Amino acid sequence: MSGPVVVCTISGQHAEASEEVGGALTLGRRIAAQRGVELQWLVLGGGSDAAVDTARAQGVASIHRVSDAKVGRGKSDAIVEAVAQFCVATAPGVVVLPLDFDTRPLGARVAGRIGAAVVMNAAAVSDSGGRLEVTAGGYGGDTRGVYVVAEDTPCVVGLIAGVVQPETVDGGGEPAVHDVAVDLSAVDERIRVVQAASFEGPRLEDADIVVAGGRGLGAQENFKLVEQLAEVLGGIAAASRPLVDEGWIDSSRQVGLTGKITRPTLYLAAGISGATQHMVGCTGAKTIVAINTDPTAAIFRYARYGIVGDCVEILPELIRASKEKLQR
Amino acid sequence: MRVVVLVKEVLDPDAVGAYALAGNLNVGDDGRTITQTTIPRLMNAYDEQAIEAALRLRDGGADCTIQVVSIGEDLTAILRHAMSLGADEVVAISPPEGELDWHTVAALLASYLESTGGADLVFCGRQASDDDQGVVPALVGEALGMPTITVARRVELAGSVVRVTRATPDGDEIVEADLPAVITVGSELGEPRYPTMPMKMAARKVTPTAVAAADLPVGTEGLAPRAVLSKLFVPVVSGDCEMIDGSGAAEQADRLVERLLEDKVVRP
Repeated sequence: MSGPVVVCTISGQHAEASEEVGGALTLGRRIAAQRGVELQWLVLGGGSDAAVDTARAQGVASIHRVSDAKVGRGKSDAIVEAVAQFCVATAPGVVVLPLDFDTRPLGARVAGRIGAAVVMNAAAVSDSGGRLEVTAGGYGGDTRGVYVVAEDTPCVVGLIAGVVQPETVDGGGEPAVHDVAVDLSAVDERIRVVQAASFEGPRLEDADIVVAGGRGLGAQENFKLVEQLAEVLGGIAAASRPLVDEGWIDSSRQVGLTGKITRPTLYLAAGISGATQHMVGCTGAKTIVAINTDPTAAIFRYARYGIVGDCVEILPELIRASKEKLQR
Repeated sequence: MRVVVLVKEVLDPDAVGAYALAGNLNVGDDGRTITQTTIPRLMNAYDEQAIEAALRLRDGGADCTIQVVSIGEDLTAILRHAMSLGADEVVAISPPEGELDWHTVAALLASYLESTGGADLVFCGRQASDDDQGVVPALVGEALGMPTITVARRVELAGSVVRVTRATPDGDEIVEADLPAVITVGSELGEPRYPTMPMKMAARKVTPTAVAAADLPVGTEGLAPRAVLSKLFVPVVSGDCEMIDGSGAAEQADRLVERLLEDKVVRP
């Protein structure tokens, strides 16, 4: 016997109509179907009206809204306590949490508090004879591990953004909407924000076109080629970790395991070898284009189109060709 | 004050990656253990940075002892390395019988800390480079009732308050918490120091303090694993890359943009 599958999202952080949330709900629905249990959606921070539409399209049985004023983005103690109280009350078998920088530490905390198992970086989840099996990346994505969850043990699953494409169902019933009462009177956030991170401008995570540069650019001044091509294509310039470490570009533009996870239509990688730590941040792209001098570079294994050559020579021609053919 | 750094021994992730990429990573009969003996074992690089964070606090005048603690068999090499970097004491907890998972490891570490007087600050690497999970720090924090502050770029103390600059994807964020606290550290902290030759020489004579898991007050609940690795494999990557050729950069660029237009990946 196992409890419902609960997908947990945080308002203001996970847009209810986003692909990320849709993907998490799709994964949740598949596990719920395998186990013959309900899919429930726990929305922390109340959520928007869009949640009901998404829930209907995803076959969610019920939405559970926590609207307590203490719960919200960055309020980690309140979030952990609210999820824990919900879990104690409803005894879910699986809790799915879409992973990002903020939610990453929350999964383990919830698991620790309610005595659940936890597996982060999940790429796939399935039920095998009542046992949950979670496949997660290791060694920066070079390996996958299959983790088997102990019997009768709930599991918190941290889902990598973009690995499950949302898939809607026809004829999903009207989801029940419940307001969940949690008692957060004892919660006093232990981590106090003295100075918030401030980031202005378009977000890399939302970009439709990303042009990323790596070590193959050779020199800092060549990064402007990446920026110029991004501009012509109407995209955003990004970089792999070494360029951020060198100080060529701000860390807010870093793609990869320790940076941002992007899901653009086009990801053009110039002078990037394709270390898996980097690829974690762009394998959700619909089309990857790689330019690298080394024909055996790992990036070509992921790419749809490749050019073997020096990106410092290719990029100016790409800027020209794009201007001509896209009439910009 | 007592500062504890929790460290893990891992297989060199670069070597594992190289074997994986070359398609000859050997996994044993159990389906989950990498068997190449040529892959070096070393301290998880993020944990080395966690040690660095502790050392910088002490360099900055904090009156503290720095203890480095790990769980596993034959940890002398990495713990001597920790001594050579400047740890005051190194502790090796020998694992209990049966499976270890992140939950049991966290329970053992928390139990050790609790039964030896607690800690004011616990530093950990943001994640281990073998399983990439990063869940043990927060599990330890929960078990000890401490807040867990992740991905520190800089750590400062002001009395009983710790101030941490976190490297977030949206730039730096500064947070504060009352001690005790768990803090995780990544490469954002900057290069860790190298041991000096005299420190290395001195560390060679150090024997880590041995603690048996069986002697720690962990209940059967704490020692029951919850998520156990059953299989390890190298994912297959599609590899249907079409190489764009041409007589030169200009022709290649033209052809690429044409293909992207045909695929409607870019639009005029």
